[in-house]
Amino acid sequence: MDFIELEAIEGLRWSWNSWPASKSEATALLVPLSVMCTPLMQSTELPILPYDPLLCSQCGAVLNPYARLDYTSRIWFCPFCYKKNPFPRSYSGIGETNLPAELFPTYSTVEYSFLNPKLNGMSSPSSSVSLTSMSMSMASSFSSTSSLSGLDSLRKVVGPAFVFVVDTCTAEEELGALKNELLLVVEQLPENALVGLVTFDSMVRVHDLGFSECSRVVLFHGEREISSEQTQQFLGLTRTRQQYLGKTPVIQKQGFLLPVSECEFNITTAIEEIHSSPQVMPGHRPLRSTGTAILAALGLLEGCLANTGSRIMVFTSGPATLGPGIVVDSDFRSSIRTHRDLINGHAPYYSKSSSFYKQVSPRLSDASIVLDLFACSLDQVGAAELKDPVERSGGFMMLVESFESSQFRKCLRHIFSCDEEGNLKMHFDATIEIVTTKDLKICGALGPCVSLHKKNNLVSNNEIGEGGTYMWKLGTLTSKTCFSFFFQVNEEHKVQPGSAFSIQFITRYRHGNMGIRKRVTTVARRWVANNSPEIAAGFDQEAAASVMARLAIQRAEDCQARDVIRWLDDTLIRFASKFGDYVQEDPSSFRLSSNFSLYPQFMYYLRRSQFIDVFNSSPDETSFFRLMLNREGVVGSLIMIQPTLLQYSFDGPPIPVLLDVRSISPDVILLFDSYFHVVIHCGSKIAQWRKLGYDKDPNHENLRKLLEAPEVDAEQLIVDRVPVPKIIKCDQHSSQARFLLAKLNPSVTQNSTYTDGSEIIFTDDLSLQVFIDHLQALAVQG
Amino acid sequence: MASHVPPGAPRPASKANNPPSSQPPTNFRANPDSLADNLHNLNFNSAPPRAPSPLPGTPFSRQATQPLPPSVSPFPPTFSHPAPFASRPPLVSSASGGLASTGQPVFASGALPGGQQRFPPLGSAPQPPVRPPPTMAMATATARAHPQPQPQPPTTTSRPLIRSSPIRTPPVQPASPFSVAPQARQPPTTAYTYGQPTWPLQPGQGAPPPPITGSPQPPRMYGMPPPLPNQSMTSVSPAVRQTGAPVPGASKIDPNQIPRPIPGSSVILHETRQGNQANPPPPATSDYIVRDTGNCSPRYMRCTINQIPCTADLLTTSGMQLALMVQPLAIPCPSEETVQVVDFGESGPVRCSRCKGYINPFMKFIDQGRRFICNFCGFTDETPREYHCNLGPDGRRRDADERPELCRGTVEFVASREYMVRDPMPAVYFFLIDVSMNAIQTGATAAACGAINQVIADLPEGPRTMVGIATFDSTIHFYNLKRALQQVYNPLMLVVPDVQDVYTPLQTDVVVQLSECRQHLELLLESIPTMFLENRTAESAFGAATKAAFMAMKSTGGRLLVFQSVLPSIGIGALSAREAEGRTHISAGEKEAHKLLQPADKTLKAMAIEFAEYQVCVDVFITTQTYVDIASIAVIPRTTGGQVYYYYPFSAVSDPAKLYNDLRWNVTRPQGFEAVMRVRCSQGIQVLEYEGNFCKRIPTDVDLPGIDCDKTIMVTLKHDDKLKDGSECAFQCALLYTTVYGQRRIRVTTLSLPCTSILSNLFRSADLDTQFACFLKQAASEIPFSPLLLVKDRMTNLCVNILLSYRKFCATVTSSGQLILPEALKLLPLYTLALIKSKGLQTDGRIDERSFWINYLSSISIPLAIPFVHPRMVAIHDLNSKEGDQPLVPPVISLSTEHVNDGGIYLLENGVDCLIYIGNLVDSDILRQLFCISSVDEIPAQFVLQQYDNPLSKKLNDLVNEIRRQRCSYLRLKLCKKGDPSGMQFFSYMIEDKSSSGLSYVEFLVHVHRQIQLKMSS
Repeated sequence: MDFIELEAIEGLRWSWNSWPASKSEATALLVPLSVMCTPLMQSTELPILPYDPLLCSQCGAVLNPYARLDYTSRIWFCPFCYKKNPFPRSYSGIGETNLPAELFPTYSTVEYSFLNPKLNGMSSPSSSVSLTSMSMSMASSFSSTSSLSGLDSLRKVVGPAFVFVVDTCTAEEELGALKNELLLVVEQLPENALVGLVTFDSMVRVHDLGFSECSRVVLFHGEREISSEQTQQFLGLTRTRQQYLGKTPVIQKQGFLLPVSECEFNITTAIEEIHSSPQVMPGHRPLRSTGTAILAALGLLEGCLANTGSRIMVFTSGPATLGPGIVVDSDFRSSIRTHRDLINGHAPYYSKSSSFYKQVSPRLSDASIVLDLFACSLDQVGAAELKDPVERSGGFMMLVESFESSQFRKCLRHIFSCDEEGNLKMHFDATIEIVTTKDLKICGALGPCVSLHKKNNLVSNNEIGEGGTYMWKLGTLTSKTCFSFFFQVNEEHKVQPGSAFSIQFITRYRHGNMGIRKRVTTVARRWVANNSPEIAAGFDQEAAASVMARLAIQRAEDCQARDVIRWLDDTLIRFASKFGDYVQEDPSSFRLSSNFSLYPQFMYYLRRSQFIDVFNSSPDETSFFRLMLNREGVVGSLIMIQPTLLQYSFDGPPIPVLLDVRSISPDVILLFDSYFHVVIHCGSKIAQWRKLGYDKDPNHENLRKLLEAPEVDAEQLIVDRVPVPKIIKCDQHSSQARFLLAKLNPSVTQNSTYTDGSEIIFTDDLSLQVFIDHLQALAVQG
Repeated sequence: MASHVPPGAPRPASKANNPPSSQPPTNFRANPDSLADNLHNLNFNSAPPRAPSPLPGTPFSRQATQPLPPSVSPFPPTFSHPAPFASRPPLVSSASGGLASTGQPVFASGALPGGQQRFPPLGSAPQPPVRPPPTMAMATATARAHPQPQPQPPTTTSRPLIRSSPIRTPPVQPASPFSVAPQARQPPTTAYTYGQPTWPLQPGQGAPPPPITGSPQPPRMYGMPPPLPNQSMTSVSPAVRQTGAPVPGASKIDPNQIPRPIPGSSVILHETRQGNQANPPPPATSDYIVRDTGNCSPRYMRCTINQIPCTADLLTTSGMQLALMVQPLAIPCPSEETVQVVDFGESGPVRCSRCKGYINPFMKFIDQGRRFICNFCGFTDETPREYHCNLGPDGRRRDADERPELCRGTVEFVASREYMVRDPMPAVYFFLIDVSMNAIQTGATAAACGAINQVIADLPEGPRTMVGIATFDSTIHFYNLKRALQQVYNPLMLVVPDVQDVYTPLQTDVVVQLSECRQHLELLLESIPTMFLENRTAESAFGAATKAAFMAMKSTGGRLLVFQSVLPSIGIGALSAREAEGRTHISAGEKEAHKLLQPADKTLKAMAIEFAEYQVCVDVFITTQTYVDIASIAVIPRTTGGQVYYYYPFSAVSDPAKLYNDLRWNVTRPQGFEAVMRVRCSQGIQVLEYEGNFCKRIPTDVDLPGIDCDKTIMVTLKHDDKLKDGSECAFQCALLYTTVYGQRRIRVTTLSLPCTSILSNLFRSADLDTQFACFLKQAASEIPFSPLLLVKDRMTNLCVNILLSYRKFCATVTSSGQLILPEALKLLPLYTLALIKSKGLQTDGRIDERSFWINYLSSISIPLAIPFVHPRMVAIHDLNSKEGDQPLVPPVISLSTEHVNDGGIYLLENGVDCLIYIGNLVDSDILRQLFCISSVDEIPAQFVLQQYDNPLSKKLNDLVNEIRRQRCSYLRLKLCKKGDPSGMQFFSYMIEDKSSSGLSYVEFLVHVHRQIQLKMSS
């Protein structure tokens, strides 16, 4: 079965589909034992079960098709810990011919939908019976979120909370565009969604939406770092304490975070009344206290106990120049940090601000809050500093030039899109739990998640990424969010080659309708003997490249680019010499089997990519790219690493061509997709024709069609991507063509002897050919 | 006797003799007017009876006349017996003395020390020839008059007796206010008339009038007013004497005979200098019109003594204080010339290059006007070329009369660039309103908003007027007034929640040009009370709010008006209810009671100093029904040149009107911003200390973020050298300030007074009102730091020591049995008693009330200070009975229960409160007319004065309005009735009564007398 087909069923991509049974052998594979997991991958056949999952009383695994059943005594054996578990009464009818969906062998993935307030009234007997047991198990296993379930059952359904944090140093026109978008968002929000508004310049204003006499805002000083308690005290949210003291529980009604249904008028007014802060001292950047604004929004959400999932959406147009999280001085004489400054230590605020935001991450995670950053600015806004909380909470980061851009608009609309039932397509407050058989250990995860530091004997001490746990918290996740999990062989456990091992991914999340869902994926693979050909056969080079890319960028956070590249090269060489087919010392004899053949090429493009080579990017951009790579699935990651190039010509249908400068030709149109940019590049001849207006000439219908085809396809490419890529239409030799040229393999440069009439790229970078030559030479050295 | 006295006679002599030594006669013009008006003091000397004589018929002003009759009756007896109290004119000594002596007893108020003999100095001076009894005559005489019923048609008052005032009858001033001469001459005759009675006595005593010769100077001493040539010796007049007391015992003092203030009914015309001599000013509490002829108007600056003692020893001997009361922006009377503005252009006003004194009429130009000698430091400066002018034959510059700075005591210079550290600040008014639960529920917030709303219209017009507004409870709420974009103004409230470490929104948002936001402001003010209607926050962050508001106006400075209703309980400068704590620990409370009158901590003081530095002046309007710790709060207004207004217990019915009027006056009265003031003195004298509401950062200057017409600063002086007898000592107050319209000005007020080495001169020229105001302020500043008893003792001692000094060195009477009071200071005992019985010095008073009392006094002007402790009481039930054009304010009644009848209605006011006491048996018709009630029982607890359609009511309204005008205060009106706390409150003002808080007036006099005797003998 093809890996991609397998993925469609499991939502998983394995770098190795067969695992060697010993740890040393596993290490020698160089590409770690890992799984790229897309927990909420959309699947047409996904069964949704309207009742609670049945858990193993020992390891917490969910009943799955791999369990051995004893119908007569109504017992099931947990496939992970082998514990005997009785079936509850609701499963009384179980039998060979009457299996619940989760036991169908074909359903490796099922989803449980329960505690859904909407369904509560008419829930089946089974689910209602299991309610109590469920909530107890919830309490034990999800202590960090246990408060939610309790609250939920008491309260009416409260929707997710959204706090808009708006930078009023933005120019008036920009602000106008932003306000329009926000108004639209508010209008479309479900009635039960909570909204809050924070605006900031040198001061932070938290808007009171429940005060009808006039517009009321609470002001925070932009320079002061405020604690959660202070924020709540300042906002008057300190009710619980009073209750404990036995005083009359003055539950002061707070008006800062209200359901849309209650405050639609007020929030609309408040948004409309946002105005650009006047007065910037000449020669200075506007005073922005982004950090404090985020703290205020965070404190507000914490205070309102709205940790049923919420978003802090920051809309800013420039760097913080004040208070915690400051990026640069307001004086224009000090310029904003570059990568060089970071390397040389010339960024006075960088480390302080980064660590400030890193301290924000756990708070976000504890309260299930997502932080989104929408930066619409020509300059940097300090996304590099802000990256940690955005990434770990799973929030969006978007860097565009203007709030008026369609990218921004589309992105925002996409985020707030609803399903048919009017629920937001947003999943909050999620956790992923992994249960495995005892012969392997969990090392960690890379992706937009936070380790919950829950340990059991399946957790390895060897941490990779977010490790030391079998459970991770995700502020939010989409159907495309992808995590890579790392495993190792459990040495203490004698593993028999040929035996199977299983892994179960339990993803609990809050659905857009605020109901809790649990998606359970159970998969099994086999252990194989060392050096077994099955190992190589099970190699998924695409998944491996994605995993390596994540590892590389994780390394790049702490190391300099050249060290990362060296590590990549080194790994690749050893990998090649392990899996290559060659005669010692004879580079020309080097061969790779087909499922390895593309891997070196991926590595070549990876080491040239903006993820590793930051030469042409600002720290903000780099942060953004890395953040995106770290959550994208295998397919998307590969596009980021090695963009695709399609050629459109009169000769036939579009064909993929080499990502090489030689692919450029005057009479073709190229469609280039690097995930972040989509470039439609017209060859000089085509461009000329177009300029002459031939495409409008009915006699040249085919030219018009040729011109249209890539545009249609480009639209198709970006339709599901968030943030929406930038589409660049350019002609050969135009300045915009640089987006394409920069990514092409420089097989022809100014130094080439034979240009063959091809375009050339001015660069000293080595071309793919040279790279491969070197690789072969080095790999065969042994 | 009279004959002896012949004033005329002595005169000449005196003139001859004294001329040099005692400049007096010439200097002082007897201003008939002033005399007339003034009650006792001044007039005495000068105008003695003589004046009247010329005009037999008219002579006596109503007042004067009145006194006689009553007195008459009593007197007779006296005659035979010595009057216990003899008010004696200094000079007269003989005469009065005689009298006094005859009577064994006791108190002689000798205006002038009669004892020439005793007191050598006097003798040496012109005095030797003691003054003729004449003056005395008058006073005493009148009193004694018995023999012959006064010629005059004395009306009623009994007081007359005591004071010489009657004498001044001349008040006639009408025509020629300033020329006294005529009168002076006559004296003899007149004296006769009046004096006659007296004289007779004298002979008996053997106190011969002869001394007459020496007489001339005496007048001077009184210096005050009218040194009529003849009368030089004024008389004892006011001496307290117990006419009726046949019995020697002090106890026999007739309460009707003791000195009491008698308001003058007529307006005095006063020229500040006459004949190149300083003219002693009329009493501060009288009605007068000033013509600035070189010295400043006494409204702006006056000295406790109108002659400056040459040595520190002399001053010490006198027991008096030497201090200036400066009220630089005082409001002149409408008929006075306004202060002229002089613009010297870019070069700025001419100043002495050494001491930086400003050019004034007393700078002496020499050397053809090319140089001038500074009257402060004595340095000879070059006249700036463009300012040069030749001298006339009289040694004055020829242009002296055209240049205000050379002929006026008060001028205002346009400040040039060098006087500005920045552009003159705009007029910024920031209103800060308490909206905590209490404030809302008592209606204080609504009252404040309403008042502000009305006052907005009164703020100065123009683009330079900026306003801001904020409210606070446990947080601070600013309002963005700028948002003009919406069609419908929706105020934006900006809440600052951090009251420990405050901050403010952008100043541009919250402090806005009035012209831009007038409607917004009005709308906002209307909605604030409803906006917080449901507020359940009881806490109040006064300190933090004040600080936040300050920060919002920091860049410009301005006036911050705070409306506070409860004890600040949270945030910076939070206070505790220490009054209650004090009560629970009574043992500690007794000893440390005064500590409650001190600020609780230094936070607010530190804040206040910062405010002052940035030219923010804070006024606090306290509208409360509980303890708010004024002692601590008041630090802010005191340091920043503001003031405390106190509405306790706040009533939503009766107080809003006063609040509005107070606020209105606060913003509309003449005032200045970012001011700096310094007083310079001639060599030999230097400023010891400034006291008032200001901030002092360097020793020589006071910083006044705000200064207005009501604020008075006391400047105590000390000698650092001897002064030359016969020279003049000058004082100059320079106030650099910014007007509300943004002009930078320097108001320069110069006062030049003669120096004297004669003690009796000091007594004669003592300025009672000023001295007493000075006492008050000292007492007020001492109370928080010493036990109450000590303060009371000290105040009594101050009084005793002055009288002792006079008795010892100036009075002629040898008998120790008499209490002799200097004419000028004869009311000192009464005032001292009033002070001792005042709220500030009562242990049982509420702490806040006492703190307010203390703070109110710190900046109060003289004319308001006196009534504040010695209130005015008038009867209003019979307003109708007198027809005709009598003055609006009916005759004053002494503050004694015996004058309060159950059938009457009395109005008592002290410039702040106004109590209307309704007797039990008042005619219900009157009640109906005045208050629209039919019986005393219906008296409303909260009273609003209304005008009903009847003449009585109209008269009452007119009266109250007149008082309001006089006091520049709206007054808190309250109805009182017997047997009710309100009645108790009313009676607590009956100073002359014996009460739990102190002696009766008579007893006090006896007490003082004993003290003097004790000290004399020791």
